[in-house]
Amino acid sequence: NISDFSLNITDCTQVVVPEEVFFTVAAAGILENLLILIAVVRNKNLHLPMYFFICSLAISDMLGSLYKTLENIFIILCKMGYLTRHGDFEKKLDDAMDSMFILSLLGSIFSLLAIAADRYITIFYALRYHNIMTLRRALVILAIIWVFCAGSSIAIALFSYEAATVIPFTILFPLMMFFILCLYVHMFLLARSHAKKIASLPSSTVHHRTNMKGAITLTIFLGVFLCCWAPFVLHILLARFCPHNPYCACYMSIFHVNGTLIMCNAIINPMIFAFRSPELRSTFKKMFYCPR
Amino acid sequence: MSALRLISNRTSQQALSNSDYTWDYEYYEYGPVSFEGLKAHKYSIVIGFWVGLAVFVIFMFFVLTLLTKTGAPHQDNAELSEKRFHMNSFVAEFGRPLESERVFSHQMAEESQSLFHFCINEVDHMNKEEESQKGPHLEKNTHFQEVPKSSGMFEEDLHCLTKFNIPNFVNTEQNSSLGEDDLLISEPPIIL
Repeated sequence: NISDFSLNITDCTQVVVPEEVFFTVAAAGILENLLILIAVVRNKNLHLPMYFFICSLAISDMLGSLYKTLENIFIILCKMGYLTRHGDFEKKLDDAMDSMFILSLLGSIFSLLAIAADRYITIFYALRYHNIMTLRRALVILAIIWVFCAGSSIAIALFSYEAATVIPFTILFPLMMFFILCLYVHMFLLARSHAKKIASLPSSTVHHRTNMKGAITLTIFLGVFLCCWAPFVLHILLARFCPHNPYCACYMSIFHVNGTLIMCNAIINPMIFAFRSPELRSTFKKMFYCPR
Repeated sequence: MSALRLISNRTSQQALSNSDYTWDYEYYEYGPVSFEGLKAHKYSIVIGFWVGLAVFVIFMFFVLTLLTKTGAPHQDNAELSEKRFHMNSFVAEFGRPLESERVFSHQMAEESQSLFHFCINEVDHMNKEEESQKGPHLEKNTHFQEVPKSSGMFEEDLHCLTKFNIPNFVNTEQNSSLGEDDLLISEPPIIL
């Protein structure tokens, strides 16, 4: 009975992203983050808490891109008939992949939080930083974060149909963003007051421009994360609460675009966090340009 | 994932005929969605969401830039000594002398260098037992050690600061949360 509802001309059909675009974006994300991991492992100068947190972010980005790649491969295999759509194995595989994706999202959020907290401690507790944030403590913090994320992701994937999992998940997201924003704004205010002190010296005209740069940097940090992940979070909310509503259905039809945005986040994050460090950049140069 | 599973079964029925890109996941009892009698544009949630997100990001940016504009720079000669102290601590932060203060530059460099050494020794004292901290310590203090070499990369310093990339500097706020660290920055510079 297809003719009654589903072939309405005003339907919102699924917006399709070509497979080549998917695979290119995913591969770029995986490669970039893998490079960062290799660089941090190889250079002993980079065995610092700050870089370990950046590595944690790289790992969660890699997991997100990996998930999308595996999902695409899965679909292609289904299309070609190697896998059935209804088998038990496929359902378990699907569950596993879903939990990988949620792990990636939670890992990203907590890594960003850890990076912000680390920078905050570096600025406001500068001379005691090495005592507060030792290497061992950083590794312990990362272990706790990842165990928590793994447990939550498995729980969410198993119970994803309950409102009780969707609501905390969608509340966690803006809450963490707000907390990270507060940390960075406080750091930013300190930077501004320092710049003002410098500006109070004679013949100094640069403070407006550099504070503008600080505002731009901060906006980019948080704007990129919001723009890449918020569409997907909204999708989850709408899918849980209003799947029959035509407006919601039209929003859900751009699901593939939202997925591509998440993979773009995996490409942009290293540029914002990792490549800003001169030490990491010089490690890359050595890796690629130095004769063996 | 409920998100994946709730994508319309309807499209997977059509998919076999027209599209070669299908979502093949199990679909639960949700029926097809009727698009009759929509009052607003069908993509209104999409448009509203993205417009709202853009407005929020721009609003955040304007709030941040407004924070930068409050307070004008003042040039008060009576507070020159206080500024020298502030500049000492600022130079301690970035390790490069300010080009605008060439008049005091020799004395400043000496005082600030001594302040660095004091700071560096202090930090070294605290980390004496940790061998592994020496490497990162040197890495973080490379700016400190460049005092005699560089000249007038003032903008670069502030750029570094605003990039939050090498943020290992001393907090000179009056409401700072540093405890015994305050002693370091409020003491007069020590010539070592």
